[in-house]
Amino acid sequence: MISPRTEFALLRLWHAALAGGFAVAYITADEDTYRMHLFAGYWVLTALVLRLGLALIGSGSGPLRLPRPSLSALRDRLAGRPGRNPVFGWMGAALLFALAGGVLSGIVADALPAAEDIHEGLAEAGLWLVIAHGLIIAWIFQGRRIRAFVRDGGGRAAPMILLALAIPLGAAQAGDPAREAIQTGYARQARAADAAFAEFSPARGEALYRSVNRVSADFASCATCHTDDPTRPGRHAKTGRAIDPVAVSVNPKRFTESQKVEERFERDCRTVLGRACTPAEKGDYVAFMASK
Amino acid sequence: MKRLLIGLAIVTLAAQARADDQVRPLTDPLTLKACGECHMAFQPAFLPARSWNRIMDELDRHFGENAALAPDKAANIRKTLTDGAADRTGGRVATKYLRQVEPDAVPIRITEARAFVRKHDFPARTWTRPEILTKSNCPACHLGAEKGIYDDD
Repeated sequence: MISPRTEFALLRLWHAALAGGFAVAYITADEDTYRMHLFAGYWVLTALVLRLGLALIGSGSGPLRLPRPSLSALRDRLAGRPGRNPVFGWMGAALLFALAGGVLSGIVADALPAAEDIHEGLAEAGLWLVIAHGLIIAWIFQGRRIRAFVRDGGGRAAPMILLALAIPLGAAQAGDPAREAIQTGYARQARAADAAFAEFSPARGEALYRSVNRVSADFASCATCHTDDPTRPGRHAKTGRAIDPVAVSVNPKRFTESQKVEERFERDCRTVLGRACTPAEKGDYVAFMASK
Repeated sequence: MKRLLIGLAIVTLAAQARADDQVRPLTDPLTLKACGECHMAFQPAFLPARSWNRIMDELDRHFGENAALAPDKAANIRKTLTDGAADRTGGRVATKYLRQVEPDAVPIRITEARAFVRKHDFPARTWTRPEILTKSNCPACHLGAEKGIYDDD
């Protein structure tokens, strides 16, 4: 029999291992750090399996127990009957399933790139569940202190904390700050070139995208490789290599790395149009893709 | 003990046979990314160093396309490609591909090497199949091509 003290220590250690693995996996989800990402993913998987093992060695009422989520207990609770809060069971199950889904879809995506989007979605959902889990636990066990903090001295700090929480949320919804910065740069250049420049136009960008040119027989238009619908994956007209969609709605990483963006404009404008693009054309193009 | 030795010998032979149509894989992440964006990042052992130098010199007119790179990136990629070139590394495939290149020729198409042509004598309609499209699309048939494995023929 393990003492409750040891159980708590094991539970904390396990949380640290899982959170560490998840954080590393989340941060390294780029191509350049793929091996690390794989390692962290399997680390998380091991931690999840370990959690089930821990539940087996824990005592029936100790902190390592994984309560079964039950609807009837939930109904009892709503009816005002006392007892352990059944929401814990549901939260635990939701977390375990969401994280397992994230990890398993990652293993699938490793072999089958088409599953990447599902993996990304599940991992993203997992992150928010973990954050919600942290907040709920903090509220339950430290609730009185937090409430006192918000009411008293921390009252003034609360709006700042809310703001700090809202910024990443807002950034995910609105335009990417890196893309905005790139657009701001093009706008400045466009104004320098032509004082009458007002703002970028997605419609002009679309016209540029669809325009047919005579410079290159192989690459007559942007749409030659990127297809008529930029939300769909494209294909290099000569090599057949797959090209990720250009439209920001389906490929949010587009136009967020200024060096990359410049390199692509420099190459593709010269290949398709036979000349460099103007800053206004670049901005229009990005505006069109951001609107799609 | 004897059985163990025989087993080892068989495994070694099998590994040797497998290694026949393998070429040293390209591992430099920068080169993989930059080249691999538009086509498979070909292993440098298929061309001599002078060919890679020519390709890197002419990036702004790269097989009918502008593929210009930032100078620092281009320098790193040039080093990776020339260091791994057929005449710098040796190896079975490299030797085969190098053997029939004239000493003063600077070929830039791997698909025109005699070693390539000899093994890829297919009718035109095969090459134009939509999933193949071009001779440079190695992974369309050689599933391990990106890892340098070409023995699935």
